[in-house]
Amino acid sequence: MAKAKLSSTKNSKKDIELIQGKFESQGYICNNQIATAIFLSQKLNKPILVEGPPGVGKTELAKATSGWMEKSLIRLQCYEGLDEAKALYEWKYGKQLLYTQVLKDKLNDIISDKAGLEGSIESLHDFDDIFFSDKFLEPRPLLKAINNEKGAVLLIDEIDKSDDEFEAFLLEILSDYQVSIPEIGTIEGKVKPIVFLTSNNTREIGDALKRRCLHLYISFPDAKLEAKIIASRIPDIEQDLKNELVNFVQNLRELDLKKLPSVAETIDWAKSLVLLNVKSLDASIVRETLNVLLKFQSDIDAADSEIEGIIRKGNA
Amino acid sequence: MVDFLRDFIKVLRSSDVRISSSETLDAMKATSIIGFEDKFLLKESLSQSLAKSMREKEIFADCFENFFKEDFMNIDNASEDKTNKNNITDKIFDIQSNEDLEVLFKSSDKTKLMTALAKASDEVGLRNIKLFTQTGMFTRKILESMGLQRLNNDIFQASKQGNIEREENLKEIKERIRLEVKDYVEHQLKLRTSVSGKQLREDALAQVRLSQVDKSDFVLMTGIVRKMAKRLIALHSRKKRKANRGVLDVRSTLRVNQQHDGLLFKTLWKRKKVDRPKVIAMCDVSGSVANVARFFLMFLYSLSEVLPNIRSFAFSNQAGEVTDLFNTKDIELAAAETLILHGGGSTDYGQSFCDLESFIENDIDRKTTIIILGDGRSNFGDPRTDILKSLQEKSKRIIFLNPEPKTLWGTGDSEMTRYAPYCHKAKVCSSLIDLEKVVEDLLRYSF
Repeated sequence: MAKAKLSSTKNSKKDIELIQGKFESQGYICNNQIATAIFLSQKLNKPILVEGPPGVGKTELAKATSGWMEKSLIRLQCYEGLDEAKALYEWKYGKQLLYTQVLKDKLNDIISDKAGLEGSIESLHDFDDIFFSDKFLEPRPLLKAINNEKGAVLLIDEIDKSDDEFEAFLLEILSDYQVSIPEIGTIEGKVKPIVFLTSNNTREIGDALKRRCLHLYISFPDAKLEAKIIASRIPDIEQDLKNELVNFVQNLRELDLKKLPSVAETIDWAKSLVLLNVKSLDASIVRETLNVLLKFQSDIDAADSEIEGIIRKGNA
Repeated sequence: MVDFLRDFIKVLRSSDVRISSSETLDAMKATSIIGFEDKFLLKESLSQSLAKSMREKEIFADCFENFFKEDFMNIDNASEDKTNKNNITDKIFDIQSNEDLEVLFKSSDKTKLMTALAKASDEVGLRNIKLFTQTGMFTRKILESMGLQRLNNDIFQASKQGNIEREENLKEIKERIRLEVKDYVEHQLKLRTSVSGKQLREDALAQVRLSQVDKSDFVLMTGIVRKMAKRLIALHSRKKRKANRGVLDVRSTLRVNQQHDGLLFKTLWKRKKVDRPKVIAMCDVSGSVANVARFFLMFLYSLSEVLPNIRSFAFSNQAGEVTDLFNTKDIELAAAETLILHGGGSTDYGQSFCDLESFIENDIDRKTTIIILGDGRSNFGDPRTDILKSLQEKSKRIIFLNPEPKTLWGTGDSEMTRYAPYCHKAKVCSSLIDLEKVVEDLLRYSF
């Protein structure tokens, strides 16, 4: 038993490295922490709640996962007022109405030879399930994810934007991977989907939901990782410029800003610098392009006086 | 290992991290997959299954470092090297509790001593330690459980035989083990009680009368008020109501009207309205309520964080608006500045109501709630109940919160008995718990 345990750690370490490698092949550079979360969620069959500042690659994580697992990505964007009908399923009311109209004569035929009201209703009972069957069901993202034969990657994006009621409604799906449709019954998927929930923390997520998930906090990457990310996203960037700009952004994040520049913005900035054919950072070019990195005028003003200092610090 | 995990979770819980039993099970499953050999991996997987917010993750990191100190890792590695059993629980049960302390101490394998220590502390229930006064007791108990008796006997024997060198030697061993155990117990105490002590204090503070709170507790108190406000925000900030205008929601309308044979009997609309309560709060900051004024302001400040549509006023002999101050400044600064600007004067409720009325004339409607914080002592000036009456007629409701006990209402210069009839609610509010109840009540029913 002792041996088995020892090897289990080594095995899981190997698996985690493998996962990391697969992410890299998708162009998503992740640290050990993220890979561990994916590994655990696969083993424990648990959804992952991903939190972190905007633009650190929460949504991207789900996309990359679906990429290397070769499973389809089903995305549910949350917003205020999102309800069951838009997230889970909806009856095709139009089709139902249309069919009843078209089939009116047929229905007449069926009940015409029956005597009395009771007999007619009795014979209609044999048919009434027709209108509430799979054919009239419009599956929405959640149902699609559960029904997917090969298993899917389900991304429930920005769960904090949805209402409390919707959060409560998710509980059944996230713990049992099944949904109940009153007219049909409980639908259970053959292959459990891999579920990601992301949150930007605009409001506190309920304890009940948190309890059902693994919790992964992605923070801004360190300089080494960020440089790796830039290198993988923009292969033709020059080594010196890459290091300079990563150092600059890292130092910028230490300032007291309203919104810190995210990885996505670093990538955008790097792209624009490459487009502008910049070979090395200097204060004037930074000033001209700072609006790619910072999205509030007050932040740009605050950073303006620090630019020279940061560049010097980065080069030192 | 289950024991270790259970212990660790207990430590986390006492450090204010909420962990449910299902999360405990997750953690156990995770560790059974991951194993205990890789510290980083263990930390990551436990953190993901146990700590579910940024704050909790920080606490978790501290606790983890403290709990799984090098001792533990050493034990694990050592046992891996030296014995076939790398499972710590197995190892613990291998050691007889009365093993010779001398041998244990002299053996080069320090981990043996540590495991014996861990086992002994488990036996005497060290995990229940609560107060620092218990350290001595637990140290002695653990030593006894580890076989102090035998060591004492040996010392006695040695002295009887006149073997002074051995006696000294044994005494030194005894002393060093005692120190080791004491350190261990103190460490455990620190681990388990650092936060629960604070919790105890906070609970007590919440119930203390506001005027009795010591100055040194102000910081803690501010923290509690903040916490309260945050909880209230989470609970109430997103209340919504279906509006009965806007774009027709075809789907839900069809669904609802199926029971009426498809006739559009009841229409549903897509628009939802977020309930935004409208509150006007005025706070007495005069000398007679000097003790509680700070807390009233603190409360007012937190209210302005919870409710978006709030106008705040402060008054002693006349009223002034402090809404902007509250919105732009930090709580400490805002409170201090309000006290300087509006405090200190002798209270005049009549004049202040008059001022308030002119301030809010255009803003008051049937949705407005007016909250008055004060003792209702007006220095025998004209109470101007007529203004309060007209405010009552124009607003949705008036809530008067008084820090004085009800028996004092109406005594001396208190106009409380005259004001009370014009208030929808006049309540005693002397502790934080009272305040919280009022706010909950406010948010639940009034809007």
